[in-house]
Amino acid sequence: MAAHAHTVKRYPGFWGWLWDWLTTVDHKKIGILYLVAGGFFFVIGGIEALFIRLQLIRPLNDFVSEDTFNEIITMHGTTMIFLAAMPIIFALMNAVVPLQIGARDVAFPFVNALGFWTFFFGGLLLNIAWLTGEVPDAGWTAYPPLSTTAYSSHHGVDYFVLGLQISGIGSLLGGINFMATIINLRAPGMTFMRMPMFTWASFITSALIVFAFPALTVGLVAMMFDRIFAANFFDVNAGGNIVLWEHIFWLFGHPEVYILILPAFGIISEVISTFSRKRLFGYSTMVFATILIAFLGFMVWAHHMFTTGLGPVANAIFSIATMAIAVPTGIKVFNWLLTMWGGSIRFTAANLFAIGFIPTFVMGGVTGVMLASAPADFQYHDSYFVVAHFHYTIVGGLVTGLFAGIHYWWPKMFGRMLHEGLGKLTFWTYMIGFHLTFFVQHFLGLLGMPRRVATYLPNQGFDTMNLVSTIGAILMAFGILVFIINVVVTSLKPRHATNDPWEDGRTLEWAIPSPAPEYNFKQIPLIRGLDAWWKEKMEGNKEMKPAEPVGPIHMPSPSILPFIMSVGLFISGFGFMYNLVVAGIGLAITLMCMMLRSVFDDHGYHIEPEEQKKKGEVPA
Amino acid sequence: MSAHEHAGALPPEPEKATLEGRNKILGFWLFLGAETVLFGTLFSAYLAFRNSTLDGPKPEELFQLPMTFIMTVALLVSSLTSVFAVQAMHRHKTGPMLGWMAVTIALGAVFLGLEIYEFNEYAHEGHRFTTSAFSSAFYSLVGFHGGHVAFGILWIGLLILQILRKGLTVVTAPKVYVSAIYWHFIDVVWVFIFTVVYLMGKV
Amino acid sequence: MTENHSASHGTETQRHRAEGPQKHIIVFVLSMVLTIIAFAAVAAGNVNKTFVIFLLLGMAIVQVFAQLAFWMHMKDRGHFFPIIGIVGGAFVVLMLVALALLWTWW
Repeated sequence: MAAHAHTVKRYPGFWGWLWDWLTTVDHKKIGILYLVAGGFFFVIGGIEALFIRLQLIRPLNDFVSEDTFNEIITMHGTTMIFLAAMPIIFALMNAVVPLQIGARDVAFPFVNALGFWTFFFGGLLLNIAWLTGEVPDAGWTAYPPLSTTAYSSHHGVDYFVLGLQISGIGSLLGGINFMATIINLRAPGMTFMRMPMFTWASFITSALIVFAFPALTVGLVAMMFDRIFAANFFDVNAGGNIVLWEHIFWLFGHPEVYILILPAFGIISEVISTFSRKRLFGYSTMVFATILIAFLGFMVWAHHMFTTGLGPVANAIFSIATMAIAVPTGIKVFNWLLTMWGGSIRFTAANLFAIGFIPTFVMGGVTGVMLASAPADFQYHDSYFVVAHFHYTIVGGLVTGLFAGIHYWWPKMFGRMLHEGLGKLTFWTYMIGFHLTFFVQHFLGLLGMPRRVATYLPNQGFDTMNLVSTIGAILMAFGILVFIINVVVTSLKPRHATNDPWEDGRTLEWAIPSPAPEYNFKQIPLIRGLDAWWKEKMEGNKEMKPAEPVGPIHMPSPSILPFIMSVGLFISGFGFMYNLVVAGIGLAITLMCMMLRSVFDDHGYHIEPEEQKKKGEVPA
Repeated sequence: MSAHEHAGALPPEPEKATLEGRNKILGFWLFLGAETVLFGTLFSAYLAFRNSTLDGPKPEELFQLPMTFIMTVALLVSSLTSVFAVQAMHRHKTGPMLGWMAVTIALGAVFLGLEIYEFNEYAHEGHRFTTSAFSSAFYSLVGFHGGHVAFGILWIGLLILQILRKGLTVVTAPKVYVSAIYWHFIDVVWVFIFTVVYLMGKV
Repeated sequence: MTENHSASHGTETQRHRAEGPQKHIIVFVLSMVLTIIAFAAVAAGNVNKTFVIFLLLGMAIVQVFAQLAFWMHMKDRGHFFPIIGIVGGAFVVLMLVALALLWTWW
């Protein structure tokens, strides 16, 4: 059956612009949507962080009440991990991976859009809790019995469970999509071992998502059944077991932190090699180290449970497995250093972030090895030492890596380069602020300051360091502000970026215009080696060799269904809390949309060669 | 660019003839990897709570092997008829394909009907969702499987109607293939359910 | 986009005879036999509990392998990543079973 050659309808004006963004299935626009939404939630999580630090700036402070403090720490952790970090990772994966493999879009553009909107509405549902006064307050880990209705009778934890459930669907769909994309849509000549490191990292991360998220799904379902339908999974009096929640949560939760960091590793590999004008040292080893980290990541979850009483045999097994992960990680660190060694290094803002990542993440990693020792962990557990460790790895590691990637790929996404001076200012204020905030927290932990306390008594040795930590947080906030100003200032400049604005691009995305045209590649390129674009440049070519003739390009049609399906789930979330009929209606809306999607096939539309000659634009 | 037209001649494996079709099949296998973990977690909870029956009836008292056997045979046969449907599809025989698909979901409906009857009996015997940790885990695991069967019946039913209208094409063929893979998968899950829940419950 | 142009070009050699039902019926009969043995072993009652459990698990695994390989075509070429998908999932399920049986009650 031939595809119909109709063009897509575009409406004029503001409503047309809005409709375009609500119905898009284009991975480039979806990447921007993830970046904006993730950035929005990052600011919310950041404000929550500031409130935490302001409350803890001095002993016996009363900036917020203890109950409110519990709400703030819960929401800060949940928002930052699920609604800020993961979406921005998906933003970069969407913006970059199809371009790096020479594809025109992901394998399932409709599902891609669905993944975004479910994430967005799940995050909205969770944060609406603030407006109702019933905010989740059992921590981002929601351990029972605290999270059961016996001890959390208002709807707070329900917002957590339902919001995350809906958001989690989006993540799972994204994971499946990127795996299928990378497996099936690589350009001719791009074998797996010729893929860029960011694409490899995205591939492994997507596999982690596919295997880890369903465990969380079931855990949340069990918690929801307990809270809403009087099930007994975690009710000890009815034969339930609270350790089971911890197991299931952390079986998801540990791979989750590798889901967070592996993409950052990929970004660092790209940025460092580009700005050292040198290919990545030890490419195959990097690939295998990434796979090993992911594999081991599924065998260490109980290191979050050393003090629950699993016993010395279990603790020993998980200790050793955890320490083992340091080996492939260390290999990666050495390979980055060896990439820079002998290279011609340019200290752009992006590269500053990438270089800053290395010692910072290593610090986080070594405290991880300290925590891996079960007997030692009996002292560290639930102290600020743990808080320091995970902020060093997630903020000092992942977020720094994301800043590197955002500065690096901004021209490809938006056709403009972020201002270098402002970028460097962002880097220095943010990094110095970061270390001020979190370095002292190691010592707070070692001195005995517990986690999750709303306040503390004076004269225990905590006072000065808490003050320093809060000052650091304010400096970090200033750094983020500088970044936001950079974004605004840059958006006012004209779109002048060339296809290869850094001039040293090595990978395929730099072979096409900035921003990429609607169809990405006029002709799918032929890949002749690793760092495919660099290879062509070194042989004096100005363009990639094509693997196909010029012809009409088939594109998927936009659709409003992903948006509506997510609204249906959003409505059902409220329904499960307040009125089951409404829950049914919400689910029915979603199911109806699935049915419509199945029945009405999308034949797509074509972009004819005449239209391809004009430079495609991504509307602001 | 989707598949060529050859005056109606379908290729031998129509579900794999287009890139979209191959993507859908691969994507669905990856989804099944996720479903494996999903059911695995439900099994994990069930195994943890297999002895937490409190005052409720124990598995040995509850489970009736003859009915479980009939349900198992129904689902197994339906998985075979689903194979026949795909084979008919490969022979481009739309009529028999639809016939086998109809038999598949009819047997699925038999399975489901028996399961609903079974749950009803249990409820009368004091084994309800809220009775104990064991019962919550049991109904969650077996109920989710039943929910998957129900969804499959609706899905394959919808496909039958679609193909009656649109015919067997390189666009509809992947849908049939994927639905068959789904149906086989829920039979595979049932093998573990009848083994671990029902049979080991009676040992 | 690269297309896998299967042999719909009329040039011969796509001697692709659609496969017959024989192998699948064999798998069906095997599955029925394994199922019946399993039910019979439990219905018999007097057998050693540990032996029966291993027997049941063994037969379930054989049945599942047969259905995955033949009914779901996992033995055919072009199924590398489907195998990764199922094996990866099974690996995580191993962790889940271990944690439920070993580390939940004490």
